[in-house]
Amino acid sequence: MKLKNLALMLSLLASPSLLLAGKLRIVTTTQDLASIAEEIGRDNVEVISMAKGYQDPHFVDAKPSFLLKLGKADLLMIVGLELEVGWLPPLLTNGRNSRILPGQAGFLDASAGCDILQKPSGPIDRSMGDIHPEGNPHYWLDPENGRIIARYICAKLAELDPAHQKDYRDNLERFEARLSEKEKEWRFLAESFNGVKVITYHNSFPNFAKAFGVQIVNHVEPKPGIPPSPSHVQELIEQIRSEKIPLLLIEPYFDAKLPMKIAEETGAKLLIFPPSVGGDPHVKTYFDLFDYDLKLIHGALTPGGVPR
Amino acid sequence: MRIKFLSVLIFLFVISKFSFGQNQLPGTSAQAPSAGYGPQGGSGSGAMQASNVLNPNISAIGWFQAEAGHRHPGPGDANERDDAFQMKEAELAFQSIVDPWTRADFFVSVTPDNVDLEEGYLTFFRLPAALGLKIGKFKTNFGRFNRIHTPETPFADRPLAQQNYFGEEGLNGPGGSLSWLIPNPWLYMNLDAEVIAAPAGSDNPSFSRANSKDVLYVGRLSGYYDLTEAWNVAVGGNCSYGPAGENFDPVGNSSSTLHTRLYGIDVTFRWKNIRRAIYRSFLWSTEILWSNHDATSSPVDSHGMFSYIDYQFAQRWHAGVRCDYSQFPTDGSKHEEGGLAYLTFFPSEFSQFSLQGRHVQRDDGASENLGFLKSTFNIGPHGAHPF
Repeated sequence: MKLKNLALMLSLLASPSLLLAGKLRIVTTTQDLASIAEEIGRDNVEVISMAKGYQDPHFVDAKPSFLLKLGKADLLMIVGLELEVGWLPPLLTNGRNSRILPGQAGFLDASAGCDILQKPSGPIDRSMGDIHPEGNPHYWLDPENGRIIARYICAKLAELDPAHQKDYRDNLERFEARLSEKEKEWRFLAESFNGVKVITYHNSFPNFAKAFGVQIVNHVEPKPGIPPSPSHVQELIEQIRSEKIPLLLIEPYFDAKLPMKIAEETGAKLLIFPPSVGGDPHVKTYFDLFDYDLKLIHGALTPGGVPR
Repeated sequence: MRIKFLSVLIFLFVISKFSFGQNQLPGTSAQAPSAGYGPQGGSGSGAMQASNVLNPNISAIGWFQAEAGHRHPGPGDANERDDAFQMKEAELAFQSIVDPWTRADFFVSVTPDNVDLEEGYLTFFRLPAALGLKIGKFKTNFGRFNRIHTPETPFADRPLAQQNYFGEEGLNGPGGSLSWLIPNPWLYMNLDAEVIAAPAGSDNPSFSRANSKDVLYVGRLSGYYDLTEAWNVAVGGNCSYGPAGENFDPVGNSSSTLHTRLYGIDVTFRWKNIRRAIYRSFLWSTEILWSNHDATSSPVDSHGMFSYIDYQFAQRWHAGVRCDYSQFPTDGSKHEEGGLAYLTFFPSEFSQFSLQGRHVQRDDGASENLGFLKSTFNIGPHGAHPF
C-alpha cells in the first residue's frame, strides 16, 4: 500500500507543472487569443503573447527569447491557417517542450470550429501573392468566432486543470453574456453604416466585414504581400472617385504615406484601423477591439466625426 | 490463324479491363485533379495508392548567377567555375514529420558538376531535460554563418575565412549533434556538442582524416538577449578539434595523426522596428576564428575573420557591405583580404536579384575584381523566415 502511495506521489510529481505551481502558463501567438484566454482563465492562468497587436502577425521574428517562454508553457494557442507558418515551426522544433506540440494536450489551434472565409477552391499558386491556402486567418474579427474560440479555450483549460473547471465555466458564461450584450451595441452601431464601401491595405477584415455589413471592395496591396504599383494606385484612385468610397482602413503596421496620398487625392478618409488587441493603446481587450474599430468607422462617417 | 485471332481478342479484352486511363468508376465523375482530395471511390481510397496528404513538404531553391571580371583564385575558391552565366545550384528540400518523436529534413544540391546530399538529418524534438538531438549529415554549429546555405545568404560567394578554413561546402559531415537549452531565467543560452566523421582527402582545408574512423568535434556556447523591443544581440563561442592528416616519419618508419584546433567567436546585432517590420531592418554580424594546425615541423597559428552589415532601406530593397581577412590553416604568414558590396531587390519573399561587386587582394599581391548578378527563386510551401 505504501509503495502504491509512493508511486502515485511520484507520478503526480512527474505530471505537468500545473499540479505543482497553481497557475497555468499559456503562450499565445497573438494578443487576441491572449485576451480571450485571460477572460476565461482569469486568476488561474498567466498568459503571454509572442506577437504584439501592433505587429504584422505574418512577419514576426522567431527570436530565441521566445524559446524561453515556450519551454515553460503548459499550453500554446495559435491562430493557425498558416498565419504563423513563417516563424512558428522552428520555435516548436527547438522549443524542447513536447507538451505543447501539435496533437498534444497542450496545443490549441483556435481556428477549429470557426467560420473561416475565403477558402480557396481549385488550384492555387503564388501568382495570387502570398496566399493563405487554408482560408483567411483573421477570423477572430467576427465576435461569433470569438465565442467559439472562448468555448474551445474553456474546454481545453478544464482538460488541463480540472481542479478549476467550475471557474473556467463560470468565466465563459460571463464572457458569453457580456459578448451577447456588446454584440447588440455593436450591431446597432454598425447599422448606421451598413453596406459602406471601404478599401483596406491587406485582406485582414473579411470576417469583420461579414459580421458588421461592411463591403471591402479592394485592397491597397494588389495581392497579399505585394506592394502597390503606380498603376494599381491609379486604379484605386479612380475606383474611389467613381464609387464614392468614403474610407481607407489601414492596419497600423503598414506605412500610411501612400494611402494618405490616395486619401488626399480622392477625399476619402484614412483610418489607422487595428485588426488586433494591442494594435492601438486604447485596445486592451477583445471587447475594446470592436468598440474601438466600430466607433472609429461610425465617427468617420458621422457628419463632424473626426477620424484618428 | 483462329487461335491467333482469339489471342488478340483476349489480349484486347484484358487491356481494356485494366487500363489506367480516365475510366469512370461507378458513382464518380471523370474530372481533372483538384487541389483537394480525389473523387470518392478513386485512388484516394488507398486501394491503388496511398493518399498524398502525408507527402513531405517539397521545395526547391534555384540559384542563377552571372559573373564579370577575371578571377585570380586563391586556395579556397580554386575549384570554382568562372563561367559568365551559371545555374549554380538547385537545392531540393524534402521535409516532414517522421513520427511523434522525430522530423526529417533533406537538402539535395544539384550543381553543374554533381548531385550531392548537402544535409540530411533526423531531429528528435521530444527529448527530456531541454535536450535536442540530431543525427545525419549536417552543417555544424561552428559560428552562425557556417549553417547557412549559400543561396540563402546575402552573398554571391562565401567569406574568405569560410572558404579558406572550411572549404566550399563549409564544416559539415555525417554524425550527431546534441543541443542543450541551458535553464536560466535571464537569457537564451544553448550548448551544442557535435561529432562528425572527419573529412576525407582535401575536402576540407583544416581537417583531414588519417584513419577511416577518425572524427572531429565541434562545441558551441551561444547566447541571445533582447536589448530592447527593436535591438537584440546574439553571441557565440566555438571550438573544434579533429585530425589534419597523417605525419609519416621515414626515419622511425612510423606515422602519427596531425590535428587542428579551431576557436571562434561570433557576434550579431539586429535592429528591427517591429511596428514597421517589413520596411526597415539592420544586421551587423562578425565572426573571427583562430586556428592551431599541426604541421610536420611545428604547429601553425593563423586566423581569419569577416564582418558584414545588411541594411533594409525599403520594403523590397537591401544593401550591404562585407569585409574579409583570412590567413591560411597551413600558413599564417600569408593572407588575403577584400570586400564585397551588394544591392538586392526582392520582388517578393520568394525571389531576389542582387548586384554585387567584390575585390580581393590575394597573398601573391594579385588583385581580383569581380561583379555578380545573383538571383534566387523558391517554390514550394512557405518556409520559415530566416533569423
